[in-house]
Amino acid sequence: MNPSLKLFLVLIIALEVTFTSYLYSNIVIIILALAYLIYRRVRWQRLAWLVIITLVPAIAIFVTIAFFSPGHNVYFAWVLVSRLYVYVMTGSAVSCTTSALQLVRSLEQNCHLPSKFAYGILAALNLFPRIAQEVRLIRIAGQMRGITLHWWSPRLYFKAILAASQWADQMAQAMESHGFVEGQTRTSAHRVPLTRRDWTTFFILVVVLQLLIIALP
Amino acid sequence: MEAISIEQLSFQFEHQHPIISKLDMTVTAGEVALITGPSGCGKSTLLRLIAGLLPKYGGQVTAGQIRRATIDRHPLRMGMLFQDPAMQFAMDTPRHELEFTLENCQVAPTQIPARIQEASNFCQISDLLDQSITTLSGGQQQRVALAVVVAMHPDLLLLDEPFAAIDEANRQFLIKQLGQWRAAQPGRTIIITDHDCHGYAALNPHVFQFTAGQLVALSLFQGKAIISRADDAASAPLHVPVPPTTAPTIIQLNHVNIGRGKRKLITIPDLAIMKNKITLLTGANGTGKSTFFKALTRLIPYQGEIDYRQKDIQKISPGKYHYQVGLVFQQANEQFLNVTVGEELTLSARHQRQPLLTNDHLTEVLRDFGLAGMEDRVVYSLSGGQRKKLQLLVMLMIGHPVLLLDEPFAGLDRDSLSTVFNLIKRCQQSLPQTILIISHQLTGLDQLVDYHLHLNDEKLTYEGVQA
Amino acid sequence: MKKGFHLRDIILLALIGIIFGVIYFAAAFVYNGLTLLLTPVGYGPMANDITMGIWCMAGPLAGFMFRLPGASFLGEFLGATVEMFLGDQWGAANLISGAVQGVGTELGFTLTGYRIYNWLTIIVVTAMTTIVTFAWDWFRNGYSHFAGQMLVVMIIVRFISIFLFAGVLNKLIINMLDRAHVIRR
Repeated sequence: MNPSLKLFLVLIIALEVTFTSYLYSNIVIIILALAYLIYRRVRWQRLAWLVIITLVPAIAIFVTIAFFSPGHNVYFAWVLVSRLYVYVMTGSAVSCTTSALQLVRSLEQNCHLPSKFAYGILAALNLFPRIAQEVRLIRIAGQMRGITLHWWSPRLYFKAILAASQWADQMAQAMESHGFVEGQTRTSAHRVPLTRRDWTTFFILVVVLQLLIIALP
Repeated sequence: MEAISIEQLSFQFEHQHPIISKLDMTVTAGEVALITGPSGCGKSTLLRLIAGLLPKYGGQVTAGQIRRATIDRHPLRMGMLFQDPAMQFAMDTPRHELEFTLENCQVAPTQIPARIQEASNFCQISDLLDQSITTLSGGQQQRVALAVVVAMHPDLLLLDEPFAAIDEANRQFLIKQLGQWRAAQPGRTIIITDHDCHGYAALNPHVFQFTAGQLVALSLFQGKAIISRADDAASAPLHVPVPPTTAPTIIQLNHVNIGRGKRKLITIPDLAIMKNKITLLTGANGTGKSTFFKALTRLIPYQGEIDYRQKDIQKISPGKYHYQVGLVFQQANEQFLNVTVGEELTLSARHQRQPLLTNDHLTEVLRDFGLAGMEDRVVYSLSGGQRKKLQLLVMLMIGHPVLLLDEPFAGLDRDSLSTVFNLIKRCQQSLPQTILIISHQLTGLDQLVDYHLHLNDEKLTYEGVQA
Repeated sequence: MKKGFHLRDIILLALIGIIFGVIYFAAAFVYNGLTLLLTPVGYGPMANDITMGIWCMAGPLAGFMFRLPGASFLGEFLGATVEMFLGDQWGAANLISGAVQGVGTELGFTLTGYRIYNWLTIIVVTAMTTIVTFAWDWFRNGYSHFAGQMLVVMIIVRFISIFLFAGVLNKLIINMLDRAHVIRR
């Protein structure tokens, strides 16, 4: 399915389950998303991690609603727990099966996202390892002068943002010297197809979603 | 025909002194121009002005102008290589970067694969096309960068200190390819900045010297002399002894392997750093000198064991260890933690162990360094040389038992050099301290250093006359 | 350069998002630890309120740095986009919470007319972020089923958290950036 459409579908699902409270439709969505993730051969370690890490907020909300809220509404507690897993599973259905580059190319070509946003974000993402290293370096620079920088120290952020500001400058200049001009038309080496089939699948899934929510108790 | 002509150009950044003043330069189409001068003199700024990146990205032109030629009725097409190899790619792999660039240049999709093929053959990066750029060495990254700009079919190539972080083999390869690129078509022009002029003879460049914000165009003969002098300087030996086997040591390395990504850089079966001595560390670009310092300060992982005072450094808590073994970073900005000069000094004074740098004496040193009365200046707006001196000073004040200095003399003028040598020597003797220095500039260092370590062919060995 | 967001600004906003991501990744155990600690007394969801200020830092920081309409929203939203790509558990759902938090912080600057940048702005930004994110969580976490007294405690805790992190800590960072001439006017 086209990456942009997949993203919109997931956002629609997330919004709808937030404003409705049905347990069984949530469970069906979770199963469908999980089936899709398995079909796309997402590693099982990754899936296990998703399930386990979400247990923390899930248990917290379940305990609070089921035992400490005035209504002790166990059904509603399960709705909230399943809702969390809807977010996680559908969210991962996009992020685990589509690379940043694919999504960005699709958003640029199919949705006319301005290229400065598309490639600006990609450029920043590729600097991720460098930022992680920079934060470590700042902490060590502190230790070498006898001070410890914690995650709540303004100095740590100040130094990191200072470095980021220089990198943003350098990177923007480098992109410009690689021919990038804001707002100028670009060709595309790889067309991201947006076919009639994509649209049909998209609409069928949206309709199915409505039916699930209306039909199931 | 003139590709670039600059008249009476003056330029300055906000909150800083003018870096270029009344500069003139003419580059003829088809020639190679080599701009040389110490680091931080403004070469880089000039190149960015020519590329049109400045003043768009900061600063202002206060006088003069730059004229760029038009070729076949289209504006001069320029491609630029930057000093920091890793900071010029927006994409994750060389292939994606090439695609991104050609898309920007509005090359028809059907022609893109052929252009990628052509450029990657030229720079011999075909086997790297689908690897992650972050795992490539500096030399490989610079080859990719050249492939990207060559693929754009430019008329003018601008290269900003392109070989500062890469090994000799890649440097020679790239210089050779630049020559080929230029020869392939008449009118192709190249402008390079480099503080180190060795290996350029084959390009037969027109050499310009950058001094005090201006350029001096050298004659062909003067240019050749500078290049051949640089070729000789690389092999000049230092007059220091090899450490005696009985000398006390402070750091010991056992079967240590240090790499960058998947590449092995240094293998050390057994090595000791002599206690309370100053040792110089040399080696060609890209051999891994800075990486060695990073391993010693636990900034990067390594295999094997490194002991500090007979204790494995991995077993000492990071806070304690870095208070014992300090590193003066190559980039001065990385060292600072505050905003103004005064705040930096106060911060160091709070944890000071160096008794030599207090009150009156500190004031005197600040005056010698040309930093007197600058307490309220923002450190990041100081000149490159002032920043280097301040950085060294705040680290010497702390008085680490072991201090590693990575290119502490880069961008310093001759007068500053002798004051800096003097201060390092006095601080070292007063505590005393063990000091290791990486430096590519060797003038006068015989007086300062006790021993000399050389890194070559993945091995670190002490050099000099047998005592 | 003209006003508005240029390539450089977009890269910087996304980088700021990554910086916060990197630093808080180390602090994520705070959230998990707090949740496990508070759950037995029925206050588990309050861990979300205690740490809320941390997740809302990028927006106000961007608002103060760029001083342009939309900066705060973009800062928060790009931060969330980056988190989605870096592969945290919420995936694409990050975009929704990022947008909600972005609207909250942006409203604070809108109400002060994009002219005032002092402690008043911080109070207004804190108040708007508290209201908007709490309203969203009302639906998302089913607050209508919670005890009234607990909701009052939660909204107060959330206000304090946002004030401390997105307000005070941000202001300290901004002051340093301002003195170092990083902030453009």
